[in-house]
Amino acid sequence: MKLAIRNGRIVNHDAEISGDILIEDSRIIKIGKINGPVDEEIDAAGKYVLPGLIDLHTHLRTPGREDEEDLSSGSAAAAKGGFTTIFCMPNTDPALDNEGLIRWVIEQSQQQGLIDIFPVGAISKGRTGRELTEFGSLKKAGCRALSDDGDSVGITSLLRRALEYAKMFDLLLVSHCEDAALSGPGVMREGVISSQYGMAGICPLSESLIVFRDIELARYLNARIHLAHISTRQSIDIIARAKQEGVRVTCETAPHYFSLTEGDVERNNFHGNWKVNPPLGDARDIEAVRQGLKTGVIDCIATDHAPHSQEEKNLPFEEAPCGFIGLEWAFSLGYTHLVKKNILTLPQLVEKMSFNPARIMGLTGRGHIVEGSRADLVVVDLETSWRIAAETIVSKSANTPFLGEVVQGKALYTIHQGKVVYRQT
Amino acid sequence: MEAWQKKHILGIKELTREEMETVFRLAGAFKELSHRQVKKAPALRGKTIVNLFFENSTRTKISFELAGKRLSADVLNFSASMSSLNKGETIIDTIKNLESYHPDIFVIRIGYSHILPNLSRYTSASIVNAGDGSNEHPTQALLDMFTVHQAKGMLEGLHILIVGDIMHSRVARSNIFGFQRFGAQVSVCAPPTLIPYEFSQIGVKVYYDLDEALPDADVIIMLRIQKERQVHSFFPSIREYVENFSLNASRLNSIKKDCLILHPGPINWDVEISSCLKERLHPLILKQVENGLAIRMAVLYLVGTRKREYEISD
Repeated sequence: MKLAIRNGRIVNHDAEISGDILIEDSRIIKIGKINGPVDEEIDAAGKYVLPGLIDLHTHLRTPGREDEEDLSSGSAAAAKGGFTTIFCMPNTDPALDNEGLIRWVIEQSQQQGLIDIFPVGAISKGRTGRELTEFGSLKKAGCRALSDDGDSVGITSLLRRALEYAKMFDLLLVSHCEDAALSGPGVMREGVISSQYGMAGICPLSESLIVFRDIELARYLNARIHLAHISTRQSIDIIARAKQEGVRVTCETAPHYFSLTEGDVERNNFHGNWKVNPPLGDARDIEAVRQGLKTGVIDCIATDHAPHSQEEKNLPFEEAPCGFIGLEWAFSLGYTHLVKKNILTLPQLVEKMSFNPARIMGLTGRGHIVEGSRADLVVVDLETSWRIAAETIVSKSANTPFLGEVVQGKALYTIHQGKVVYRQT
Repeated sequence: MEAWQKKHILGIKELTREEMETVFRLAGAFKELSHRQVKKAPALRGKTIVNLFFENSTRTKISFELAGKRLSADVLNFSASMSSLNKGETIIDTIKNLESYHPDIFVIRIGYSHILPNLSRYTSASIVNAGDGSNEHPTQALLDMFTVHQAKGMLEGLHILIVGDIMHSRVARSNIFGFQRFGAQVSVCAPPTLIPYEFSQIGVKVYYDLDEALPDADVIIMLRIQKERQVHSFFPSIREYVENFSLNASRLNSIKKDCLILHPGPINWDVEISSCLKERLHPLILKQVENGLAIRMAVLYLVGTRKREYEISD
């Protein structure tokens, strides 16, 4: 089976060329001018061909809340958004804390999924922050990373042991940075808006104090650590310094942290659809996140795709669950808010959404379009504007603050291992 | 009087000075009604008001209830504890349910901040906020301002001092926004743990020392302190709170002679205010209760008789 993508602009993180791509079975076999017969052709004239996007941070709610998302709907949403590889977090019910569950998720995703789904295993049994899971078994079952995401590992000695023990298996620890006691009953960023409306605030140091702790542990142990959903300027300052000093730390942010602020929460009357953790920051945080992406302090953009039922999102702001879905428009938000605003170039956006995530997870042969690599590709249209609308959502949930937003940049074809798994209709 | 436009009374934040003046003028007229032989006006005859209280309240509820009845509305009281809501019936379900009775006004007290704009999407009735979380308690602030206005003749330029748990107080927020809109200078005094973050940015002066704050005040609003706050270390003990923030006889010597002392009630005597001041404070507190009724009648009247959009167009 031969598939040719003709006349596209091929964009890697480090170079851009115009040309054709020839795919045979699951591999890219040639880049350049393709002659001769093929089985299928995609005309990409005027379009861009990027390495398939890689999302280090999603919640697929499986097992436990398949009413909100399952592996099939989650992978369809991912494919629609241009993702060919995604990682899903273990804060399911039950938590993904053992070999059996990890194998089950991988098996199920291979049966139902359109793309690659890598489950992230839990650091602690039941994600309770008390005892380590069996890292070796989790690794054998297919885990590349471990996290108690949703909660911080509160007990510092446990995180220390986890960082040390993970070295033996070269597992990456992904840290949800939050001082739970400092966040307390908080539901939004602490600031003038929370003060005016009597909303319990979350102090921004709640994130950055744990960022500091985790970085110092990684430095002390010469361990590798990845920090999830970074949102505050204080955190970014600390990470920038640590990186300069050679600490083996990487981090991600999410699209809402470079496009929304606490002011949007107020303008939308504190509806649960605007509630997320870490909470939306202020104008200075947005600016710091954008600059952090530009300077490379922030390595990648992950969606933190977090489906929730509308019933639960309609609860009072104080009671509503945290999180937004994001797989279907993460690239569009990146293109609209970063590339169009000259904060990142298109190759840099590719770096943040494909090359760096692959590198951080040690996924060779992905995130870079070269001859011989996996044929994980996305063909995007960067010209057409489109409106994010509830009717077109593929995810089982529709909890997003971006409904109605007009964005630019859209996947036309998503190709996973040489197979077209999404095509715009 | 200009036609009243606002469908809802959700907070002082959303009211203009002119709108508040309209409320005060009307409250003045309604106050007089209470002294007549027949204490009832037909203004809201045929209208249905639902008092929907998700939080315990005695004073505010009976004040609203009587206000509705004095205006001849049919008043329905619905008290739902938050615990029954947790068992599955949501707030939205409750509103939709009551909507079947086609009420004209919902008076809502609820433990969640600024939830009413979202709830308003599920009813065609007007909503009057009777206290939402730590956000606002607009009728309390209106009655406080009305009481001060009656005593002082004006609000502009007055020094208003609010003492106590500012952070968790909807009364404080409504009063701050209200008095500020009239050009009064608002100060707050509390331990720093009970002052919301960056609060001086909204134009209030912040004091930690009551003795320093008292001499300038034309009006002092003492807030009720929730005794359980110490559990979360907002202050270490009631004893220490009282020592620093209670209005006692000796502190009373340092205030202006004509200073008004208000309290939204119910008072923890010997906590916020020393019980030896009972005699002196009682008349004003009773006046607040009376004014509260008049203010709530005014508010219900305004939203209940408001010209609807379709009436304006024809």
